[in-house]
Amino acid sequence: MNEDTSPRGLGRREALLLGGAFAGATLASQIAGIRPAHAAAGSTLVIAAAATPQSLDNEYDASLGTIDAIGQLYDSLIQFKKKPDPKVPSVLREDFADHPELPGGLAVEGKLAESWEVDPKGMFLRFHLKKGIISNWGNELDADDVKYTWARKFALNAIGGFIVGLMGLPNPDAIVVEDKYTVTFRPSVPNPLMLKLQLNLYNNIFDSKKLKQVATKDDPWSRKFLENNSAGYGPYELASITRGQQAVFKARANYWGGKPAIDTIIYKEVPTSATRVSLLQGGAVDIALGLQPLEIVRLKKVPGVTVETVPASSMMWIELNTKFPPFDKVEVRQAMNYAFPRDQVMKSIFQDIASPLTGCMPDIYPDFNAKANPYSYDLDKAKALLKSVGLESGFKMEISYNAGDPSQEPIAILYQTSLRQIGVELTLHKIPAGTYYNEVSARKQPMIMFVDAPWGPDPGYSTRLYFYSKSFVDYSNYANAEVDKLIEDGSQMTDIPARNELFGKVQDIVMKEAPWVFVAFPNFTITRKADLQGMTYYSTNAFRFADFSRKA
Amino acid sequence: MDQSAALDAAPVASAPASLAGGPPGGAARARSGPVGFFLAVLRARPMFAVGYIIVLLMIFAALLAPWLAPYNPVTAAPDDYLQPPNALHWLGTDATGMDILSRILYAPRVDLTIAILGTLISSAIGAPLGAIVGYYEGRSAWRRALSVLVMRAADVLQAFPVFVFAIALVAVFGQSLASIIAAIAFVNIPIYLRLMRSQVLSIRGMRYVEAAFVAGASDVAILRRHIIPNAIAPALAQLSVSVGWSVLLTSGLSFVGAGVVAPTPEWGSMIATGFQNVTTGQWWPSVFPGIALGIAVFGFALVGSSIEVLADPAQRRLVGVKHAAG
Repeated sequence: MNEDTSPRGLGRREALLLGGAFAGATLASQIAGIRPAHAAAGSTLVIAAAATPQSLDNEYDASLGTIDAIGQLYDSLIQFKKKPDPKVPSVLREDFADHPELPGGLAVEGKLAESWEVDPKGMFLRFHLKKGIISNWGNELDADDVKYTWARKFALNAIGGFIVGLMGLPNPDAIVVEDKYTVTFRPSVPNPLMLKLQLNLYNNIFDSKKLKQVATKDDPWSRKFLENNSAGYGPYELASITRGQQAVFKARANYWGGKPAIDTIIYKEVPTSATRVSLLQGGAVDIALGLQPLEIVRLKKVPGVTVETVPASSMMWIELNTKFPPFDKVEVRQAMNYAFPRDQVMKSIFQDIASPLTGCMPDIYPDFNAKANPYSYDLDKAKALLKSVGLESGFKMEISYNAGDPSQEPIAILYQTSLRQIGVELTLHKIPAGTYYNEVSARKQPMIMFVDAPWGPDPGYSTRLYFYSKSFVDYSNYANAEVDKLIEDGSQMTDIPARNELFGKVQDIVMKEAPWVFVAFPNFTITRKADLQGMTYYSTNAFRFADFSRKA
Repeated sequence: MDQSAALDAAPVASAPASLAGGPPGGAARARSGPVGFFLAVLRARPMFAVGYIIVLLMIFAALLAPWLAPYNPVTAAPDDYLQPPNALHWLGTDATGMDILSRILYAPRVDLTIAILGTLISSAIGAPLGAIVGYYEGRSAWRRALSVLVMRAADVLQAFPVFVFAIALVAVFGQSLASIIAAIAFVNIPIYLRLMRSQVLSIRGMRYVEAAFVAGASDVAILRRHIIPNAIAPALAQLSVSVGWSVLLTSGLSFVGAGVVAPTPEWGSMIATGFQNVTTGQWWPSVFPGIALGIAVFGFALVGSSIEVLADPAQRRLVGVKHAAG
C-alpha cells in the first residue's frame, strides 16, 4: 500500500503549493460545476471520472464509464469470495486462485443464486436462485430472467457472442428452465469454464419482465431502452444521466443485500486528469479516477487524501502486426522485445506504479506461467537477431498510439530512442482518442499500443481472447496452428492440472513468438478522501459503489 | 488626360508608394539612404529594434542549433526525466529526459520553416490573385463574375474559424509538415487577396495606369510593372505579421495534437506535452517553451509594425518629425 496522510509542518513552499492547489480546486470546481457541499454530505459520494457512461447496454459498450455503471445496476448469480490484498490490507480483492478442494474449483459465494451444482465432467451447471429478489422495477427474479439474459446474447451476438462461445453453448435451448427458481446450463461439449464465466461483469442478470414490456417489434431485445435505463437486481438504480456531465445513482432500499451505505452516487465527467486532481485536493470530490502516475505520486503527499494501488489485470503492450513485414519474422519481433527499455519505462513513465509485462496474461491470475518470459533489455541480442534475418542495418517503422492516454507518447519516445541504437527508425503516429479503437480493431497499423484486461481470471480465457487466430481481439493477426489447437483442446479440458500444463505451453509459445512488445502491468489505483473505506479490487478494474462507506 | 501628362506622372507614381514620403522623413532618407532611414526609424521607435533582435536571434537559433544546443533534442534520457533547471540542464528536462533548452533552440527550425513557407505560399497565391481580381473588377460581365466568384470563395474561407479550419485541413491531408504548411498557406490566402484587391482598386484608376494602357501595354505588363509594385507595400508589411501569427497557429495545432509529429522539437508541442506536469509541480517543460513562443510572436509583431511604418508615408513623416526633433 502506498499511503501517506501523516500531517507535517508547512513551509513556505508547501504553503504556496497548497494555496495553488486551493485556487486550482476552486477554479476546477467552478469549471466542473461541482459544489464542495456534495462531497461533504455523508450519504453522497462524488466521483470525478474521465467520462460518463456511454450506452448502459452491456452487449455493446465496454467503455470505462459503462463498466463502472453496470457494476452498480446489475448483479450476477455468484461472486468470488474476497480476501485482503497481501500488500495493501485495507483493500479487498477477489480470491480467484484455483481451489481444487472446493466445488467447481473456485472460492465463490452466492449472489442471486442460493446454491449451484457443477458437473465434474463439465456437461452441466445448475443454479438454484434465491427467492424474493426484486429488481429496480419491482419484478421478482426467476429462472426466466437467466434464460432471457443468455438468449439476448445469442440474439444480438455482440460482446455476448464471445461469452456464449466460451461457455460452449450451441443455442439458447442449452439454457434450460427447470422450475421457477432453477436453471441449468448444458454445453454441447465438456466445459471447465462454466462456473468461472458466471462471475464475468457482463453476465449480470436482466429483469426480463421489464425488458419484454418495453420491447417493440423493431426492437425485440429492448436495446433502445437499455441505452439509457437499467433493468436489473443490483444495489443501485439510475436516477439520471446527462452524458458529458454526470450520472446519478440512487441506492435501492429493497436491494436483496440491504441498502448500501452510500445513498447517492454522483459520477461526474471531468475530462482532464489535472482537474480531477485539483477537485480531489480541494475536497470537491471523494474519488478521482484515471490519474496519471505523477499525479498519483503527488497526491500521496496531500493530507486528507489516501492513495491505494494494487496489482491488477490491466496489461499494456504494443501489437506487432504479424502481417506486416518484417514483423512476419519471429526474430524481428523478439528483437523488438529485447530493445524495449522496460525498467526505464516503469521508473520514469509509470513512477513504479506498474510492473514489467512479463507474460501474455495477467500475472495475478491463476496458472500464469512466470517462467515463459525470456526478455530482458539486451540491445546486443536484439542486433544479433536482426542480423540473423538480414536486417543488420535496421528498418523504418511507424508506431501508433492513443492521443487520449498521456502515458503512451513518452513510452513511444523512449522506445524510439532505444530502437535507434539497433538501427530501427521509429516514426510516431498519434491517433485521436475518438478513432483509436477503430484503428486497433482494423488491424491495419504495423505497430499500435494497446491497453486491455481480460476479465476472466483464467489462462484459457486470456489466451483465447488475444492469441486464438479466430478471435476478434487478435489484433496482431497472430496465427499459430499449434496454439489454436491447444486453446481449443484446453477449452474442453476438465482435468485442471493437465489443463494448466497445456496453457503453460501456450504461454511459452506465445512469449517466444512475441506477437506483442510486452510493456507493463499498470496497477489499479484509487485516489480518494481518507474518510472513505471499503475499496475492493475486481478483475474488471471497475468499482462497486456498494463496497464503500464512510469511516465513523 | 493626355499621353505626355501620363508619361510624366508614371515615373513618380510607379516608384513604390512606400518610398514616396515627403519631408522631413524623405529628407532623412535622402541624407543617408535607406539604411540610414531604417536606423532613424529604429532610433525613433526602439521597440522595433527589439523586434528585429528577437527575429534575428530566432534565425540564428534555427541556423546554429546543432552547435548551440548542449544535447540532442530528440534523444530521450529516461534517467534524467523531469529534472528541474540545473547546471547540466539550464531549463530542465521533460518527462522523457530530453533537454528543454536544446529543444527550444531547435524549435525555430520547424516553426520558422512552417510559418515562413506557409506565409510565402499564401502571399504568392493571394497577392497576384487579389491584383487580378482588383484590376478586372467591373471591367466586363464575365470578369465581374470571376471577380465575384473569387471574392465570395474568400468570404467562405474566412467564414470558418481559422484554427478549426486548419485542424480540419490537417485532419484531411494527414499530420505532416507539408500538410501544416498547406493549411497555413490556405487560411492566409484571403488576407493577401483582400489586401491587394483593395490597393489595386484604388491604383488602377490613376493616370499613369491609364497612360500605360493608352500606350498599348498589355494587362499583364500593366499589372506587373505599374500596379503590383505600387500596391505591394501593405502585403509586405503583412508578411511579418503573418509569420508571427503562423508560428502561433503552428504551435496551436501542435498543442491540440494536429501539428508536428512527436518528438519533433516545436514550441506548441512542447507546451502540450509539458502542461500535464504543471499541476504536479514540474512547470518547466511547458513554461519555457511558452515564454519562447510568446517572445517570438511579439518579435514578429514588432517587425510587422516597423514595416508598416516604413511603408506608410504618413507614419514615416511622424517618425521623421520625431527623429528630426530628437
